[in-house]
Amino acid sequence: MTKLFNYIYITATMLALAACHDEPQWDNTAAGNLDALWTIIDEHYCFLDQKGVDWDAAKGKYMAKIKETAGEKGKISQIELFDILAEMLRELDDGHVNLISNFDASRDWVWEEYPENYNERLVNENYLHFDYRRTSGMKYQVIDEGKVGYLRYGSFSSGIGEGNLDAVISYFKDTEGLIIDVRSNGGGYLTNVETLVARFITERLHAGAISHKTGKGHADFSKPYDYYFEPASGRVMYTDKPIIVLANRGSFSATNTFVSIMKSLPQVTVVGDTTGGGCGLPFTAELPIGWSVRFSSAPIYDSDGNLTEWGVDPDIKIDMNNDDIAAGRDPILEKAIELIINYKLN
Amino acid sequence: MTIKSYIKRLCCLTAMLASFGMAGAAEADSVTPLRPVVSIFSAEIGGAHMLDTYLSPLRYNGLHLGLAWEHIQATGFAPERWIRRLELSADYNRTHNPAGNHRNHALQAQAQWSLMRRWRVAAPTADLQLMAGGETTLRGGMLYSGHNSNNVVSARGHWSIGAAAMAVYNTRLGRLPVTLSYRLSLPVAGVFYSPEYGESYYEMYVGNRGGLAHFGWWGNRFDMENLLAVDLHLGATVLRLGYRNRFATSWVNSLSVRERNHAFVIGIGGEILSLGYRHATTASPHTISSIY
Repeated sequence: MTKLFNYIYITATMLALAACHDEPQWDNTAAGNLDALWTIIDEHYCFLDQKGVDWDAAKGKYMAKIKETAGEKGKISQIELFDILAEMLRELDDGHVNLISNFDASRDWVWEEYPENYNERLVNENYLHFDYRRTSGMKYQVIDEGKVGYLRYGSFSSGIGEGNLDAVISYFKDTEGLIIDVRSNGGGYLTNVETLVARFITERLHAGAISHKTGKGHADFSKPYDYYFEPASGRVMYTDKPIIVLANRGSFSATNTFVSIMKSLPQVTVVGDTTGGGCGLPFTAELPIGWSVRFSSAPIYDSDGNLTEWGVDPDIKIDMNNDDIAAGRDPILEKAIELIINYKLN
Repeated sequence: MTIKSYIKRLCCLTAMLASFGMAGAAEADSVTPLRPVVSIFSAEIGGAHMLDTYLSPLRYNGLHLGLAWEHIQATGFAPERWIRRLELSADYNRTHNPAGNHRNHALQAQAQWSLMRRWRVAAPTADLQLMAGGETTLRGGMLYSGHNSNNVVSARGHWSIGAAAMAVYNTRLGRLPVTLSYRLSLPVAGVFYSPEYGESYYEMYVGNRGGLAHFGWWGNRFDMENLLAVDLHLGATVLRLGYRNRFATSWVNSLSVRERNHAFVIGIGGEILSLGYRHATTASPHTISSIY
């Protein structure tokens, strides 16, 4: 009997210890913080294989930089450490990857290197004549003698009320087509993407698929899960007229997803530049020093099963140069107006 | 009929009703003993130590606050040998990261019900009772990490069955009656919620809710709760002073969750007897207390 009790006790203790899985903690030193950052990315970042990043090599490379910077004095300032860690993160070439401290936020924003292709003042002055309505983070007006609806949505972080959206779309009821301007919209909540798209579809839409990491290995992913958007039944819809989506490199993250989904609709044409990409849903972790690190964690695929991490190409590529700006012209917006006017003729 | 005769008849009727009542009570006493309820409201304050790798790889430490209501009573069946205990509680942890610049907030609620066999052990100077039995626990809430992006919250949900034990020692501190007690809750198996390693709430929102519930056992989850209490009997009121320790850990989908609380407990309550018409009492009713 005593043997039996001992056996049960030992087994129970071993099982309980199995549940007590401890996690490694890092020292708040330069090397400790680099090791923490490297491990977080190594175990959680979702595009290491797709981007062909030699992440193992990065650790040695930047650890050596820390030693080199510390030199004989053996010390490194916070700013020096931040710059080295930020440089390591730039190996990922991802706009969703940021190191955030109390004095800086590192970034790898591809859109900063491309033509901006959007000038808000120019649109307000020369096309809206400073006369527009605003609600739920949206700016809207009818232009071109009331034939064209213009809807500017600057951030998917701005909540969209269904009632507000009813009012906006009702305002466009006599137009011949609608322009949705999401240039330089850096993203926000994916739920707002669904709210908006639901007004432009007549049946259940395969919006894309989403996957997630299932473990620490670089190839540990779940099977992509198809997700669908339903039409906003009982609400004011805009489904039987052409829609032109204006995009640029600053159309990033949730906006990139919005453009990708809208592009799959038959009545939609995307005009402007390739979007900024960013199809990985970001998570956040932190380092012992207290800095946050944001990184792509869960890949979102388009309806054809492709990653749009490097952006969505427009149907019609147009850039806006300095001469256009000097002349007060927005060739991307003008092309959109032209497409709507000619759509009826065709 | 005069007023005097009315009063006489009323007195007779009252006496008759009273005697029926006494007889009924005496009959009830022989069948149904009185089972007072020990009811204690308590508050606790202490330290919290938390790790949830869905939100952060770092351990957080900070403040733990809690409220609890404990209800203990001898059972209706075999009241000398069995007691039941119910505890409803809610707790809040405000913790910070090692650098001290990020805060997490955890809010959880718990319901715990146990049924325990009682053994009375004669001690030289007082009464010692040992109790052991089964327990079921339902606990849930969330841990909120406001500085995060899509992993801003970690939901918690856990239902378990397990073992419960109590030791109660009634003694005196000078002339003051004192009850020393220890409670142990040890969940053994159950069901608990956990997302997959990098699964977002958005993915759950769009419909992928499979695999969120996990069978919990000591291979992937271990919980334990201890309460040491000193109940000071100040007349009909009980003042409780104590120490509570709660430990919970899980390891599933390569996600590690740990929570450890230590808290000083202060409470007030007493032993309450509900006397309805069915519990009309005699001069010396048979009363079975749960722990006192």
